[in-house]
Amino acid sequence: MRRRTAVIAGLAGALALVAAGCGGGGHSNATGGVQGASHTLVTSGAKKGGTITVLSEGDIDHLDPGAAYYQFTYAITYVTQRPLLAYKPNSIQPVPDLAASMPTVSNGGKTITVHIKHGIKFSPPVNREVTSADVKYAIERGFDAAVGNGYATAYFGVIKGAPTKIGNTVPNIAGIQTPNKYTVVFQLSKPSGIFVSALQEPLTAPVPADYARKFDKGTQSSYGNHQVATGPYMVQNNAQGVITGYSPGKSIVLVRNPNFNPKTDWRPAYADKIVFKEGFDPSVATRQILAGQGDVNGDFPPPPAELKSILSNSSQKSELEFTPAAGNRFVALNTAKPPFNNKYVRMAVAYVLDKNAMRLTRGGPIDGKIATHFIDPSFGSQGFNQAGGFTFDPFPSANNSGDVAKAEAMLKKAGYKSGKFTGPQVTMVADNSPPGSNTAQVVANSLEKVGFKVKTISVQHSAMYTRFCGVPKNTPNICPNVGWLADFHEPQADLDANFNGKNILPANNVNWSLLNDPTINALMAKAEVELNPEKRWADWGHIDDLITESAAAIPWIWEDSPTLYSTKVTHASELWNGGEPDVSFMSVK
Amino acid sequence: MGAYIVRRFLWAILLLLVVSFLTFVIFDVFPSADPAVLRAGRNATPALIHQIRINLGLNKPFYIQYWRYLKGLALHFDLGYSYYNSESVRSEIFSRLPATISLTVGAFIVWMLIGLPVGIVSAIRPRTLLDRTLMGGALVAISAPVYFIGLLALFLFANGTGLVNWFDGAGSYVPISQSPATWFGSLILPWFTLAAAFAAFYARMTRGNLIDTMGEDYIRTARAKGLRESLVIGKHGLRAALTPIVTMAGMDVGLLLGGAILTETVFNIPGVGRYAYEAITNSDLPAIQGTVLFGAFFIVFANLVVDILYAFLDPRVTYG
Amino acid sequence: MALLEIDDLHVSFKTMDGVVRAVAGVSLSLDARRTLGIVGESGSGKSVTAQTIVGLTRFPNAKISGRIMFDGRDLVSMDADHLRDIRGARIAMIFQDPLSSLHPFFKVGHQIVEAIRVHEDVPRDVAKRRTIEALRSVGIPSPEERFDSFPHEMSGGMRQRVMIAMALALRPDILIADEPTTALDVTVQAQVLELIQALRDDFGTAVILITHDLGVVAQMCDDVAVMYAGRVLEQAPREVLFDGPQHPYTWGLLQSIPRLDAPRSDRLSPIAGSPPSLINVPRGCTFHPRCPYTPPPALETEPPLEEAEPGHLVRCHLSVEERRRLWQSLQSEHPALR
Repeated sequence: MRRRTAVIAGLAGALALVAAGCGGGGHSNATGGVQGASHTLVTSGAKKGGTITVLSEGDIDHLDPGAAYYQFTYAITYVTQRPLLAYKPNSIQPVPDLAASMPTVSNGGKTITVHIKHGIKFSPPVNREVTSADVKYAIERGFDAAVGNGYATAYFGVIKGAPTKIGNTVPNIAGIQTPNKYTVVFQLSKPSGIFVSALQEPLTAPVPADYARKFDKGTQSSYGNHQVATGPYMVQNNAQGVITGYSPGKSIVLVRNPNFNPKTDWRPAYADKIVFKEGFDPSVATRQILAGQGDVNGDFPPPPAELKSILSNSSQKSELEFTPAAGNRFVALNTAKPPFNNKYVRMAVAYVLDKNAMRLTRGGPIDGKIATHFIDPSFGSQGFNQAGGFTFDPFPSANNSGDVAKAEAMLKKAGYKSGKFTGPQVTMVADNSPPGSNTAQVVANSLEKVGFKVKTISVQHSAMYTRFCGVPKNTPNICPNVGWLADFHEPQADLDANFNGKNILPANNVNWSLLNDPTINALMAKAEVELNPEKRWADWGHIDDLITESAAAIPWIWEDSPTLYSTKVTHASELWNGGEPDVSFMSVK
Repeated sequence: MGAYIVRRFLWAILLLLVVSFLTFVIFDVFPSADPAVLRAGRNATPALIHQIRINLGLNKPFYIQYWRYLKGLALHFDLGYSYYNSESVRSEIFSRLPATISLTVGAFIVWMLIGLPVGIVSAIRPRTLLDRTLMGGALVAISAPVYFIGLLALFLFANGTGLVNWFDGAGSYVPISQSPATWFGSLILPWFTLAAAFAAFYARMTRGNLIDTMGEDYIRTARAKGLRESLVIGKHGLRAALTPIVTMAGMDVGLLLGGAILTETVFNIPGVGRYAYEAITNSDLPAIQGTVLFGAFFIVFANLVVDILYAFLDPRVTYG
Repeated sequence: MALLEIDDLHVSFKTMDGVVRAVAGVSLSLDARRTLGIVGESGSGKSVTAQTIVGLTRFPNAKISGRIMFDGRDLVSMDADHLRDIRGARIAMIFQDPLSSLHPFFKVGHQIVEAIRVHEDVPRDVAKRRTIEALRSVGIPSPEERFDSFPHEMSGGMRQRVMIAMALALRPDILIADEPTTALDVTVQAQVLELIQALRDDFGTAVILITHDLGVVAQMCDDVAVMYAGRVLEQAPREVLFDGPQHPYTWGLLQSIPRLDAPRSDRLSPIAGSPPSLINVPRGCTFHPRCPYTPPPALETEPPLEEAEPGHLVRCHLSVEERRRLWQSLQSEHPALR
């Protein structure tokens, strides 16, 4: 999923210039994180009515719920569409949404049965009750390139009959069965520990085939602009069903879905209308929220200088929430070629990196805690604790500033007798704009302390992923600006794509370390089919430790996600979704 | 003149072809992001990316992509569809054009109304305290980045975000058809922000041109005739001093109609410039290509208009 | 009484480099219907003197003193509005380069109409008729068509005719012609000079002719003043001056007149050295650094402008006899000077 962290271009320099004057330091606690307001969800005494305004810098990715794959878009998708399972805002545990109850798993984890609720109707112009066939069609169209879903194969490819070749048609997947109007049965080709969790993806939200099929024809589906809703809200449309509430890059207007039956849903849906206003400069939008001209930030975190100013202001401080779930960032080392195919050379890097200085490039402690392994704290007992929580740190250093002596010891083990790296120059492909470019500079400086000569190639962030680090034949020795945000809170979703050898792809590769460790691969294969959650989480926690110890990649920050509310609204940050506001739980005071 | 315009027109088309070709080449050669991968999402399989690449026509060599693009452009005035959100680039640009035109024309009026009088006053009293103050201020305005001025304006004068709530702030723009009063109010700060550097530059230009002109022999002639000084400056001086400024203004307006990226971004005005900015951020070639072509068109067109205008403004200029 | 009487005129300009003393104590007079030639190299102060008469040197950095009496009033102390009424209407000027002196963006007819209507409240069509007449009177063919021409569409000679037509359209008492032929072809020069002469005779306009060319002076002027470094060095009626010039500088100027009848080797022997800086004017006689004779007092004191014979003023330390002797020996060396 696309991370909420805003695209920060060259403009950031100008912002910092203006904003630098305001604000003192954040309040750091012992572990180096920042404490904002506690994570609260107020539902008592909330009033119905009113309009909530969400401010954002950029646009959503795709309005079509089958194509949406971005935290910010999910803030809209989850209040207009009802997947089989969903989350309450402050939880990472999926609960039944379209489903009448939690799915039942049988046949050794290869058959999953879901019953759906009666009486849920599509919004106009479809107006009919949702049936199991609509769920089947919704998932099937995820395998149509005209829809272009980014995760269908990753999570639903395990269904029997799921296509491996993707064309411009909606396939019929035999493994999705609809024995009656209210039952969906998934037949899997092998057990999957995360399949049930994946049922919360918006791809499982029903799409009426009879209505949508004509829009899904051709090479580009236009269902997004004709979509119907099942949630409490819908994107504003006209009588013909054409979406009128979406102006790309400008605004998105959500209104109440007249066919929504509150008895079928746990979303309180207080506000009458939600307006997403796009295109704001983050510092300007932050100040507008403080002034009550907007109610909450959508796709951008308030810039560090603004955050510090807010935290030092006693009346504003309580409007800020930090959600510890914005994923991790790490430095990936290419394990497929020298010198980082040598574990000790990698470990030297893990020791010498000045994580503290790296964090400063993103605003310091306010950005989150320094990471010592991969699974981030928002997973809690679903993997984070099992991996060792805050205490597991195989490469400790004073003040997290790097340990040159230990690094030199590792290099000696690797055969560099002086303790300094004497091999050829190493390449690094980094962002060409702050803060990524600054982080890369710190990485280079750290490496030079133990003799590395680093050649940095600077490109646009998206080019770094799609042309270099994500294409194994172009992957440099070091990718300093990569990171991952799990699609949902199963540790597999956090580690598998990045570190499983079977996931090395010729393009769009996200195993940036090109790690193909037989031991880790085998442990992952076993954990993937583990149906017992406690055991599964423990397995992945162990895998996390092994990956971290291998130093194939060096995690350096678990990002917190700040959400700023105006004084006019109640707070509801989505713990499961990187702190995005849940507008169906917020209310206008 | 007719033949001249036809010739210029053909040159303009050639120039636009070259610009569009260069945009394609740059996009193809330089390491921008892979649009198919961006479109597919980070967890997408190679199979999906492959099909999307085919759907977007990215699997073809770039000269075929370019040829298809030209064909669509020439036959249907079709600028293609965004890789990012599949919207028609042409309709996206046209829907944003009124905002950009509103911003440009208003800023143009502001900078002319400020720049010319300041320049004239300075030229009439050169090297006085007033002149030095005005020109010093102009230098500051020229050097200050637009983004900085914009933020400063917002944090000082805008409703909500400012120290004083005098004007509407970022994101308050509405089309003039919706509410002329709100439209006007929302554009006051952007107009002045965008106009600041231009006004300063035009003031300096006006001052320099007018001082040069006032040293011309024909000004001495006008004085020798017994013309009053106000007429000497206002008619004989400005007539000559402003001619190059008018033509420069034409070029600047043309340039800005292609999108005032920074001003539109800081004030969240949904114009062509912000569209271009988003297009670049998203490696969205059709949108980049469309905005570049549009910008180039306005520049080329403004050039033509200015050259023709010059023939009317300066009798010494003729085109054959 | 003279039509125009300049008395001890001083003009200086404050500049970044220092004070430029462009005119330092010039006294001249012009009678009606007469032509006064002011001769000198560039930088001699002749143009500044002429422009000061009509107040064109009243720049913020200028300091002007002395008196210029015209029609019983002092033009130096006159306020700008009154001076403007005289300028163009009663004292008109034409300049060296007619192309740059005409506004390139206005039609020539319009520029003359404007000159008329500044001073006379006449309807546009009347002004136009008079303009066409003026154009005709300066010898411009088909003036009705030329009325709508732009300056760049005309030849140099025609443009200077336009300037003259503009200057004379209001029948001024005095025409100041500042190097009117310098920028023109030799053949056109003669035509323009003839035109000025003819108009002077027809309209009875007094003329001040500024030039560096003594040949032009010999052809045109009744009286001559030779200027150098902001001062008059010699002043006399034309016949007197050409008959027996008494200042070494004047001799130098005479030697530099190109003569078609002189042998090539004897042509164009300009005065050695260059004109002095008007910021640091030499002590004593301002001409002494370039003077081949330099009597001893010239280094210390500036000679006064004294009458050497009736109507002939000379500013030189040499005695009259000495000067006569030197001039005769010069003439014998250079037959061209005879």
